[in-house]
Amino acid sequence: MIKLLHVEDDADIREIAEMALGLSGEFEIVQCISGEAALAQIENYTPDVLLLDMMMPGMTGRQTLEKMREKPHFATIPAIFMTARAQHAEIEELLATGAAEVISKPFDPMTLGDQIKDAIKKHAE
Amino acid sequence: MGEEMPPYNYMSKAPLVALSGCGLALAWYAGTSAVLTGAAASVVPAVGAVSIASLVPTYLMHQRCNRVIETKLLSMSQRLDALNQHACINIVNADNELTEVNDSLLELTGYSREELIGQQVRVLYDASVKSLTDKVRSCLRRGETWQGETRLQHKDGHSVFTQATIMPLFDEAGEWAGSISARTDVTETNALMSERHTAETLNELRDDIWIVDSETEKFSYMNRSAKGRLCLSDADYKAKDLSDLNRETEIEKILSACRALRDNGESSTEFKATLLGVPMDVSVKFLPGAAGTGRYLILFNDISEHLEQEKRKSAFISTVSHELRSPLTSIKGAMGLLLSGSAGALPDKASALLEIAHRNADRLILIINDILDLDKISNGQMDFDIQTVDLAALVKETDTANAMLQQRFGVQTVLEGVDAPVMMQTDPNRIIQVLTNLLSNAYKFSTPGSSITLRVLDDEEGVRIEVGDKGQGIPADEQHKIFDRFADMTNSDRASKGGTGLGLNICRAIVESLGGTIGFETNVGIGTTFYFNLPKTLPETAHADDESAKQSA
Repeated sequence: MIKLLHVEDDADIREIAEMALGLSGEFEIVQCISGEAALAQIENYTPDVLLLDMMMPGMTGRQTLEKMREKPHFATIPAIFMTARAQHAEIEELLATGAAEVISKPFDPMTLGDQIKDAIKKHAE
Repeated sequence: MGEEMPPYNYMSKAPLVALSGCGLALAWYAGTSAVLTGAAASVVPAVGAVSIASLVPTYLMHQRCNRVIETKLLSMSQRLDALNQHACINIVNADNELTEVNDSLLELTGYSREELIGQQVRVLYDASVKSLTDKVRSCLRRGETWQGETRLQHKDGHSVFTQATIMPLFDEAGEWAGSISARTDVTETNALMSERHTAETLNELRDDIWIVDSETEKFSYMNRSAKGRLCLSDADYKAKDLSDLNRETEIEKILSACRALRDNGESSTEFKATLLGVPMDVSVKFLPGAAGTGRYLILFNDISEHLEQEKRKSAFISTVSHELRSPLTSIKGAMGLLLSGSAGALPDKASALLEIAHRNADRLILIINDILDLDKISNGQMDFDIQTVDLAALVKETDTANAMLQQRFGVQTVLEGVDAPVMMQTDPNRIIQVLTNLLSNAYKFSTPGSSITLRVLDDEEGVRIEVGDKGQGIPADEQHKIFDRFADMTNSDRASKGGTGLGLNICRAIVESLGGTIGFETNVGIGTTFYFNLPKTLPETAHADDESAKQSA
């Protein structure tokens, strides 16, 4: 089982992601509604992969990741951003910050799991 | 002094016959016209005559009497002499025929006395002022003096502006006998006034204007806005030349644009530049003068506000587009999961309906993407990632990626010229975008079962990529607007075929930004081939423009 921490402010998108990732039975999903909630969550939870929405009220996905990276055992966990700002330059910029992958919204629920697994593999190499 | 006065020809045949009882200044007799030479015709100017005009009869009379009363009227004769030199005088009879003209008028109008005497007075007037002559005439017939500006026409056709006082003349019986006009030439005054108005208008402009001599490169004019921006007085700027200013405010771009115009014999150019940190649209016009001389007219339009607005508009479009994506993520995700059967099997009809909804959600996403692209294009902000790529591989890859669509439309692609690598410098993702667009158009407009030719033509200079379909072709009346936004708006097929109406417009912008050209050949009933040509190495300007646009934005 892959332990995935999903941070997303939109409840509908959280539900769809949960369903989509639940299809294969390979993921164990914990969801948070904000960066702040996620930071609280990781006090006693260490996932295998992070799936972070970029645009959220309060901390953005990027700020959340920066905060998480301050914890030594979070320094190398693969992080995947999800963004509706799917412009070439923005994606490049996010990848340059060390993200394992950037998934554009709207995403394809049928391939989401595979995309995440590919990103984990890519990150490990 | 009086004896030395030049002979006044127009008075030579005019015997002074009678004076009315009300004094020299108001009574006179002139004799050449048929009316005025009528028996004992004494003509009295209407009351109300002013200054110059009222002196005229006095002056005319004076000519006859000067031998007798010259000492008495010496100062008067001087004044009348001045008047005659100053004013253009003519007399008109009741039939509107010119009966008297002085030398000043002849000089002003270019006619000889013989040409004018006996002619209708309207010969003097500019053809455009007919309504004015009617107005003057009716004023005079009421016994009133008319004053105002009249536009005369010189014999050679040019206009002469005069300030005129025209008095009606009546004979002793009180019958209308004609009129007498005194005019001064105000053409130059008008020109000066109009120059002043022009200068005042230019000063009111928000745009900066410089006029620079092309030979010395010295400033000959700056409007108020330009002087204010550079903190220069009239004396300051006239002492400066373009090079001085370049040292102070870095106007290298403007300086070189001016010199290029002069040296290449071109007339105008437009570009963007910053002047003291302010972004400007600059327009330079070279106005050649005689033998190598000339002037530059340089116009600056402050576009900082415009850019700020564009930025706000872009931010708005970007926000709206992204806000639309979030609900679409849920809509598409939910439908995708339903279609996959992960919520249980659906009846066939439900699946078919859901397919339609899902397809249209996809279309909405395409539209949003296109709108974002268009916004970037119109701001010159579209980003390009130039790499060395194998175009042949790129074309094959794009074809494969579109296999699903080909299946849906029941068409097949025939690839040509993709066996050997075709190496070039370009942005692979943008090429895929253009190619996908052209391919999907070809699929949509092909007859099911037909084939589409996707061809790469490689030559030393560049490459040409062709996408040929065997569709209905583009009707002649639609061909000219095919690259416009929403060009196929009227095409009822668009919705069912899933187009956004923006694709070809974006394709053209991309291809042109990459230094290429795009076009099509079409035969109604046979098919259409869209093609684009790209250089193998990117011309510096194509990318440099993009860079500078980014910086200025």
